Amino acid sequence: MPEDTRRADLPGPAFSDCGYPPEMLADFDQMECLSSRPGRETFLLRRKADGAPAVAKCYDRAVFSALSAEREGPDASGCPGVPRLLGQYENAAFFCSVREYIPGVSLAAYVAEHEMTQQQIVDVCVRLCDILGALHARPTPIIHRDVKPENVILGDDGGVYLIDFDTARTFKPEAESDTQFFGTRGYAAPEQYGFAQTDERADIYSLGVLLRFLLTGSVRESAHVRLYRPLAKIIDRCTAFAPEKRYQTVGAVKSALLAANPRRQALRAGGIVLAALALCAALAFGGVKLYQRITYTPFTPDHIPAFVSDEDRIADAVAYLREKYGTALFDAPDDIATVGDLRAALMELYGLERDYVYGINTDMPQESEAFFLPWGWDDGQTVDRDIAVYAAVKAHDPAIVADWSSLKDDNGFYPGVRVAVAFAEETGITTGANRPGDISLGELALIFANTDRVFDAAAGK
Amino acid sequence: MTERPLRSTGEILQNLFSEPSLEHWMAREGNAPDYPSFSEYITALCKKRGEPPERVIRRADIEKSYGHHLFSGRRKPSRDTVLQLAFGFALDYDGAQQMLRSARKSPLYPRVRRDAVIIFCLAHRYDIVACQEALEQYGLPLLGEGGRNA
Repeated sequence: MPEDTRRADLPGPAFSDCGYPPEMLADFDQMECLSSRPGRETFLLRRKADGAPAVAKCYDRAVFSALSAEREGPDASGCPGVPRLLGQYENAAFFCSVREYIPGVSLAAYVAEHEMTQQQIVDVCVRLCDILGALHARPTPIIHRDVKPENVILGDDGGVYLIDFDTARTFKPEAESDTQFFGTRGYAAPEQYGFAQTDERADIYSLGVLLRFLLTGSVRESAHVRLYRPLAKIIDRCTAFAPEKRYQTVGAVKSALLAANPRRQALRAGGIVLAALALCAALAFGGVKLYQRITYTPFTPDHIPAFVSDEDRIADAVAYLREKYGTALFDAPDDIATVGDLRAALMELYGLERDYVYGINTDMPQESEAFFLPWGWDDGQTVDRDIAVYAAVKAHDPAIVADWSSLKDDNGFYPGVRVAVAFAEETGITTGANRPGDISLGELALIFANTDRVFDAAAGK
Repeated sequence: MTERPLRSTGEILQNLFSEPSLEHWMAREGNAPDYPSFSEYITALCKKRGEPPERVIRRADIEKSYGHHLFSGRRKPSRDTVLQLAFGFALDYDGAQQMLRSARKSPLYPRVRRDAVIIFCLAHRYDIVACQEALEQYGLPLLGEGGRNA
C-alpha cells in the first residue's frame, strides 16, 4: 500500500503516528489536541512550509463510516467569515479536513470575561447574519446547524468568524449511536430533533437563542430579565417553534436588528436624550472617553476589538469620581455595593438631603416623588444595576424618572426604574446587557461616572 | 494576593473520601475560588518547593525578564511556555497536566507525536535540553516554537 511506504519515510518509528493520514503529517506538524470526543478529534497544526497555524478535524472511520471527501458536501470556504479549507486527507482509519486557524477568542470565552454592550451584541449578530446569508445563498445552501457562542470567533483582526462546519454536512452519522441529532441542545431548533427537515430557518432559530444568551446570560427564556423590547421581539420571532412563524431569511433578521438598534430609538425619543446624544458624540470625537459607543457603526473591521476591559473602565471611573468629588467611597471596588453605599454616595456626591434619600419624611405618602428610594429599604441590602441607574439618573434630574411607585406595570417592572434604565441605555450610561444580580462598588462607580459624563455633556460643561 | 493552599486534585479527592460530612466539607472548601490563576499557581509551587523563581526560570530555558513577568502575572504564557516551566519545575506527567490546566491550555495528548515525545521526556526526567534534542531528532517543532501565543 502506498500509505505504508509514506509512513515508513516519516522519522521516528519509536513513536507511532497513530494512523492519521500520512500526507497530512507530511504537510503539517501536529501541535496540540484542542478537543477530543469519541470518534472526533480537533488538532492544532502548523504548516511545515511557512509555519501557518491550521486546525484539523479528524473523524474516526470506525465511527463515521459514511464520511469521505466526496460526501463532505459543498465547501463553504469562499464565504467571508468562514475559515478557508486548506486540504482534506483520508486513509483507511481517518478522514481529516484542515482549515485555516483564526487567531482570536471564541464568543463564549469572551462573554465569560467581559460585559458586552447592547450595540456590540447587535453588531456581532448582524455580522453573523451576513455570514449565514452568504452560506444560505449558495447554489446548494449550506445550513450550519450549530450556531452557538463556542463556534463564533471574534478574530484578532476585528472580524467575526463562524467555525466548525461539523454539522453543516449532508452526511448521516449512521454508526454514531450516542447522539441522535447533530447540534447543541439549547441552541438547536426543534426540527433538528427530528420533527422535520431542517433548512436555513434552523440557523435563524439558533441565532435567536444566541442573541438571547448574549443579552440575558441564559439560553432559556427568563421572566426575571428585562430585555430591550425590540430585541425581545426579534428573539421571540427567531425562536418560534414552527419554522414558518420565524423570519424566513437571515436578511430579514438583519434588517430587524438594524431597525431595533438603540440609537434609532433614542433619536425618536428626542428632547434631552437627543441633545445628550449629540453632545456625547461630539465629545467622543473630541477625545473624551465615554466608553460606550453612542453612534452605531457596524461592519468596520476595527469595530470589534475596540473593547476596553472592565477593570480599566472601573479603575477609570473610580479615579474620575475621586478627582471630581474627592470621595474615597469606591476605594474598595471589588466589594459588593449595598443600599447604604448608594445612599452615602448620593449624599456625598450630589449633596442630597438625608431625609430625601432615606425617604423618612413622614408627612408624605409612602409612594410619591418625594421618596428617593423605596420606603423601608435598609442599608444592608444589596443593589442591582437597575436600581443604581435609577438612583444616579434621579439624582441628576428627577423629572426624567417617574416617581417611585411600588405598583408594577403589566410586565412586572417598576415604572420609575424602567424609564431610568431606558434612558440610561439610550444615552450610554449603562454598559451592556442587563444581567440580574448584585453589582460591585466599582460597577456602581462606573454608573455614577457615566451618568455624570452624560449630564455634563448635555449641560455643555 | 491571598494565600491559597495549593493542592492537587488527588489531595482534594482524598480529602473528600475522608470527610464524613458533606456540609462540613462544603463550608470549609466548597467556597474556595475555583482555580488559582497561573501566576499564583507557579508562585505557590515555588514556595512549596522552597525554590526561588530564578532557578526555575533558568532550568526552563526562558528569558529572565519574561519569566519574572510570568510569575508576577503581567504576562500570560503560551502552551509551550507552560511546558517549558514544567521542565523548569522538573514536574512529572501529572504535574505537567495540572500546570497546563491551571494555565487553561490543552492537556498533553499522547496521540499527538510531539506531545508523546514530551510526555516521554517528562516521565523519564529528561531536562529541557535533552527533550529539545529528542524533538529535534524526530523532526518535531522544538519547545518555544509552538506559535499560537497567549
